[in-house]
Amino acid sequence: MTWTDALEFLRGPLFRIAFLVFVAGLVYRLIRVVALGWPKDRVLSAGSKTKGVATTYAKGIGIFPFIPWVKQTFNGNAVTFLAGAMFHVGLILVIIFGTAHMLAWKSLLGFGWPTLPVPIIDWLAAATIVAMVALLVNRFTHPVVRKLSGPAEFLNWTLVFLPMVTGYLMTHHLFFRYEALFSLHMLTVDVMLIWIPFSRLSHFVFYFFSRTIHGAQFGKRAVTP
Amino acid sequence: MTTTQIALDTFVAETGGWVASQLEACTRCGICAEACHFYQATGNPDFSPVWKIEVLRKAYEQRMTLGGKLKAAFGIEKKIDDQELIDWSKLVYEACTVCNKCSMACPMGIELGPLIHDVRSGLAAAGLVPDDLAAAVQKQLDEGSPLGVTDDVFADRMDWVQDDWEVDIPIDKEGADTMVVFSSIEIMKFPENLADIARILNRAGENWTLSSKGREVVNFGFYEGSHEHTALFLQKLIDAAEELKVKKIVVTECGHAYDALRWTAANLIDVPKELEITHIVALMDKFVSEGKIKLKKGVFDGGGGIGFHDACKIQRRGGHIEEPRRLLNILAPDSFRELTPNKEQGICCGGGGGVIAIKEADPYRFAVFGLKIEQAEKAGADTVVMACSNCRLQFLDGIQHYGSELKIKGLSNMVAEAMEGGD
Repeated sequence: MTWTDALEFLRGPLFRIAFLVFVAGLVYRLIRVVALGWPKDRVLSAGSKTKGVATTYAKGIGIFPFIPWVKQTFNGNAVTFLAGAMFHVGLILVIIFGTAHMLAWKSLLGFGWPTLPVPIIDWLAAATIVAMVALLVNRFTHPVVRKLSGPAEFLNWTLVFLPMVTGYLMTHHLFFRYEALFSLHMLTVDVMLIWIPFSRLSHFVFYFFSRTIHGAQFGKRAVTP
Repeated sequence: MTTTQIALDTFVAETGGWVASQLEACTRCGICAEACHFYQATGNPDFSPVWKIEVLRKAYEQRMTLGGKLKAAFGIEKKIDDQELIDWSKLVYEACTVCNKCSMACPMGIELGPLIHDVRSGLAAAGLVPDDLAAAVQKQLDEGSPLGVTDDVFADRMDWVQDDWEVDIPIDKEGADTMVVFSSIEIMKFPENLADIARILNRAGENWTLSSKGREVVNFGFYEGSHEHTALFLQKLIDAAEELKVKKIVVTECGHAYDALRWTAANLIDVPKELEITHIVALMDKFVSEGKIKLKKGVFDGGGGIGFHDACKIQRRGGHIEEPRRLLNILAPDSFRELTPNKEQGICCGGGGGVIAIKEADPYRFAVFGLKIEQAEKAGADTVVMACSNCRLQFLDGIQHYGSELKIKGLSNMVAEAMEGGD
């Protein structure tokens, strides 16, 4: 078997299986949580739950990550805030607006979109990788985060880090043959996709639950969340 | 059944989608620690809010998720045992006031306060409430009050306050619109609150009454987290209100009781929809804006800076953030200073959530109180005003502990003092 054969398998059938596990797994997780039941809130509201929810999303997505002193918790968590924000922004931009990624999306969805120039994506990818290393170091040096870090946290970190590093090496033709790096990139992407529904990497789905609950609870009391 | 079993069963029983989705959302980033005054004051990572709900997360995962079951089966994660629960009892009762500031710091918006309350519920069911708190709950069950306000004591105190302060306090008046419920702290330690609040209500022409049956608004069942006891104590109040056919219950200067009655009761017991539940701070503000009482402007100016302490259960979790500020801007427009942080971001006094009732928690609550002294100094406030008698008790203990010169005032007392026209 050559690297080309391996690549065909990893980006073809295995990728499709991985994507299926990713989607089906998340749907299963969602259904499980929703099916646990949601008792009705019978307390009379003093304010508007909708307004609270809208405010908390605006703050949570629009303001909070970029103006850290809004919530006055920046000082003890500078690395988590800065590297965390860099990681999320970089990851999302590279996955959506990198040309190669867009083409992968296009083959899945049937349509494409304009992408960012290569040098920008390249710098974003590098910054994202640096951010991840900073977050790892922070897991050892910050007393609270160290306490919270177990095998699951380090496994999650590794399974996200590998696709990023292999992707970066691949675009720069470093160390190994292109096909070999491409294969490793696809392999690690497949593994990560399969792992997401089984781990806390799925937090991006449940974010919408906790944010909504938070906004509604504060809005109900007529307090700015 | 073992202690651990009972606690775990309670955790599982109370884990609906509301709890589970929030536990799933946590990324274990640890940012919440920085919002917790117990962590800020001590630097102990055990006190980070996310760590306080660790047992709830474990119980949920090990009992209800595939990944958690596998982790427990292969020994990657230790199963919860009795000792672990005993350790957590210290964390959630002694180093948490359930002030819920952590939920504001959480990037995912997880309502950590209510989740910590759920941890307390499991521990309460398993009988792992700290002795002092458990004793107070027992006293409320036996005598109707954690501070010993029995029928006789209540009647005596009310007679005494009416005589000494020369103020009318209607008791069990049928046909009244408003039932006022005092906390036992006010009845036993701040009787001037009774007199002053009575004076304010009388002056405003409010048709009000106390109830001898629903006389105790403090809810130690809510502190310990027992749904059963919480509901029992709440039911007494609702029964009393229905018996007297009042339209409104006014909670006086007590935070946790307000949280229980205003924001929890309807989800635990049947509360008539048309029954309004409000706080004295909101009512005083309403009286002023409607012109029912008139306050002399600036009576408290000229004696140094006056700061307002935001009580976690009355401001952040109660929603009465602007009312006390409007009042203070009349009472002391020139000397009123905001402490930083304030309003919904305010730092809790450190004595709430039952912490003040637990002797072993003293070192923690005093450590936390250091933050309040710092806040007052930075704002240039010699006096700190608040609308919660539990906070006031903590402030009085705290300034004594630190030998601070800070002066403490209750907002209702100030309003009564500033009312125009003699009695």
